[in-house]
This record gives sequence, C-alpha cells and structure tokens, in this order.
Amino acid sequence: MSGTPAGYGIEALDVYAGSAAVSARAVFDGRGLDPRRFDNVASDRRSVALPFEDPVTHAVNAARPLLDRLAPADRDRIELLVTSSESGIDYSKSIASYVHRHLGLPPTCRLLETKQACYAATAALQLAVGYLAGGLSPGAKVLIVSTDMSLADERARYAEPVTGTGAVALLVGDRPRVLTADPGAFGVHSFETLDSARPGPDLDIADADRSLMAYLECLSRSFADYRSRVEGADFATTFDLLALHTPFSGMVRAAHRRLMRELYRSPADAVAADFERRVAPSLVHPGQTGNLFSGSLYLALASALDHARLDGPARVGLFSYGSGCSSEFFSGVVGPEAAAAVAEARIGPRLRARADLDFAEYTALLAENTACLRPAAHRDVDPARYAALLGRAADRPELLALTGVRDHHRQYAWI
Amino acid sequence: MNGSAESVPGTDSAEERVLAVLRRTTLEIVPEVDPALFTPDRTLSDLGCNSIDRAEIVTLAMEELDIAVPVHEFHQGMDLAALAAIMRKQL
Repeated sequence: MSGTPAGYGIEALDVYAGSAAVSARAVFDGRGLDPRRFDNVASDRRSVALPFEDPVTHAVNAARPLLDRLAPADRDRIELLVTSSESGIDYSKSIASYVHRHLGLPPTCRLLETKQACYAATAALQLAVGYLAGGLSPGAKVLIVSTDMSLADERARYAEPVTGTGAVALLVGDRPRVLTADPGAFGVHSFETLDSARPGPDLDIADADRSLMAYLECLSRSFADYRSRVEGADFATTFDLLALHTPFSGMVRAAHRRLMRELYRSPADAVAADFERRVAPSLVHPGQTGNLFSGSLYLALASALDHARLDGPARVGLFSYGSGCSSEFFSGVVGPEAAAAVAEARIGPRLRARADLDFAEYTALLAENTACLRPAAHRDVDPARYAALLGRAADRPELLALTGVRDHHRQYAWI
Repeated sequence: MNGSAESVPGTDSAEERVLAVLRRTTLEIVPEVDPALFTPDRTLSDLGCNSIDRAEIVTLAMEELDIAVPVHEFHQGMDLAALAAIMRKQL
C-alpha cells in the first residue's frame, strides 16, 4: 500500500451502554415527575451501570469488540489512545493508562485523557484527524474512547430519566469506512459559562435554562463559523443527515427548529418533515441509553447510519456541545459501506439485550454507584454479587469488571 | 390588581413592552397556558412550560425584540419580572 490516503476519519465505531437499563417511564412515575412533560423527554430507556463498572470498564468494554474485529497489524498501528471523560478517577493518572493495559495496546502508544464536558471526544477527534493528516507517522491509528458514569438521581429532576452511562470507541485513521472528515470544514463557538458541571466526585450541578440557551446559541454561532469557512454551505441542503449532541431528543428537536426558523423562516410543517428525514434516524439509539456525555454525538451518528437508508455517498452535519462551554459544527461523508461498518457493532441488538430493571432495583443500584468516582485507598467490589442481575442480560460478552482498589490502584478482572 | 402585566407597580414602559412580548410568545409556543396566570411573580414553569418551551419562548421574544441576552444572565427559576428585566437591559 502506498500513495496519499483518500482521507482521514472514523474507521470503526463501537458502543457499550451498560448491561442494565431502566425505562424512562418507570423513573418518571417512581419520582412522581409531571407526566405531561414526558413527551418532551421522548426517551425509552436509560442505561444503568452495575457497581463493578467504572469509566475504565466502560471504555474497555466498548473498545474491545472493535479491536477484536481488527487485524493484528492494524491494532499494532494504534499510536495514540485518548479517553475523554467528565468522570475522572484521579487528578493525575489517566483513565487511558488503565484502558491501555486492559486492552493490551502496544507500548508504542501515547496516552491522554481529555476533558471539556460533552465536547471532549470531538476535540480529540479533530486533533487526531489533524495529527494524522500532518503525515508525521503515515498509517498510524488513533483510538478515542469517550466514557462516563451518570451521577443523576432524584436531585437531577427531569434530567434523571434521560441521563445515561456508557462509552463509545472510535478508531481514527486513513481508511475511514464510517465517516470521512471534510478537511477544513468546521466551525467553533466557545465562551465561559456555568451551565452544568461536576464539582465533586458525587455531585452534578446543572442549570437547565442556561444550558439550553447556551446549546442553542452555540449551534447557531458554530454553524455561522462553519459557513464562513465553507463556501456555499447551506444548512438545509448541504447535509443529507444530521447528528447532534443528544442530551435528550426534545433538545435536538428544539435546536433544529430554531436554526431552520432563524436561517429560512421555515414554516412548522416543513421543519417537522425535515426533522423526520434528516434528524430522527440519529435519535433511535440515544433514546435507548440516555445522554452518554461526549459519546452522545457518536452514538447519534451510529444511530443515523443504522436507521437511514443510504443509496450512495451522503454528507452528515455534526454538532458537538460541551457545557462550560465549547462547541463545534463539522461535517463528513458516509455511504453504504459506513452503514455496513457500523452494523458490525450490532448496537441495536446489544441495547435490546440489556437486563431490564424495575424502579426499586434501579434506585438500589444508584445508591451503590455513587461510590464509583469517590477516591478511596482501599475498596472491595465483588462482581459475583450482581451475577443474577447480569444473568438477565442476554448473550452478554465477557466484560471487564472492577474488583477493588488496593493502595489507590484500581484492580480489574474479566468476568 | 387584575393580574395583567401592565398593572404592576415599579415597571417602566420598556419593561411592560418586554412582558407583553413574553406573554404573546408564551401563548404562541404553549397555547394551553391560561392567560390569566401570566403575572410577573410567576415563572414559566409555574405556567406549565417545560425546559424546551421556556428556551423557545425566550428565543422568540429575543428575536421579536431584536436583542441578544448573554447566556450567563439566564438561570433556572427566574420569574417573569426577572426575565423581563434582563431582556429590558438589552433594549
């Protein structure tokens, strides 16, 4: 193989969204939330971690099936591993260091953890594509894994039923079967604000109104920046499909409606038809997991590829938003082969195979899960305690599990 | 007091204009809202508006008034008087 690569982007994608889930309706009813607001949520299930799961196990359990499908020679070319997370386990030691070990990646690999709320994976992707296109190490691959734990409980009110947990793995390189990035086609908008944050290992804070206003403004401004860089770009006609960061589907619907109204003064029925055609395919998988933080956009992309019918090359517009805040609108090209590549991950069947929890089982797990990110010098975790629950997940693959902490060192085993 | 925005003491005419626009956009986005409940001491949540409704009402009102309120000025739980005040500053 020689010559200049045709492009750079995502070669493969895989997802781990837990082995258990609870219905959003059960959480709504169990918490006594206003049932009239359920339609706004428009979510089916929320993925739930088991107490032997943490950001490391999520990341490894998302990336391992992807690596298992890879030829050994390709696997050896992974020269950078980035984990993106807002669920840090240490101020200094990265999640990536554990993930590198438990995935058995080559020692000739840079390790890095990134943080910028739900934007962090996109920042890593854009930097990786730029690095690869720089040609410093021809044929190199980058593995980016976004991984997060939910801390949402009754304190999160209406965000609780739609906050998920899980990880999305992206393999980035010069044979981009899933998404070929449009070189130089991006627009960015960032400014400091406190809309949501995680100031402690067991505390999420969020201002729903400020966060929504920031998301809407960022979509509008980052697309304006994109348009200033990409001649002739038009939101309504340039993109055959759209995938947006999906905290919950109502947010995505509102963002699409706002931009269509702002740019074209489109009437409501035209906006709704456009939404069904270009956006709705991206919301199917996210509706089965809840918000996966910086993996959310890439789960939406996978959903679009799993559910839209592609007869030939198509352009996807992607919008990433991370509280705090930083955002980006960018684009890439997909095609029938992209759908085939994503189908290999069997995301839909694996989401359906998770154990269904009732509300009481769910709240009991929530209480245990709050220990997940809290620093502890020593801790014991016995995955066998959850064997019955895990047994309800159909055809589950071998999973990496946290078995404890010894002198601050996290211990893991395959179960 | 008849509960309408216009009769509230301490509001100037610009603020009344903002409240009138907010009232109109609220009824446009959420037609089920009882107009009699639209008083400055209530929040949009009190009127039954969810987070998306609230963002749309505020966005539409800003478009109509041709203003842009900085994102950090918004926070959860503002009553309509507080919302009108931060919009009024941008007129």
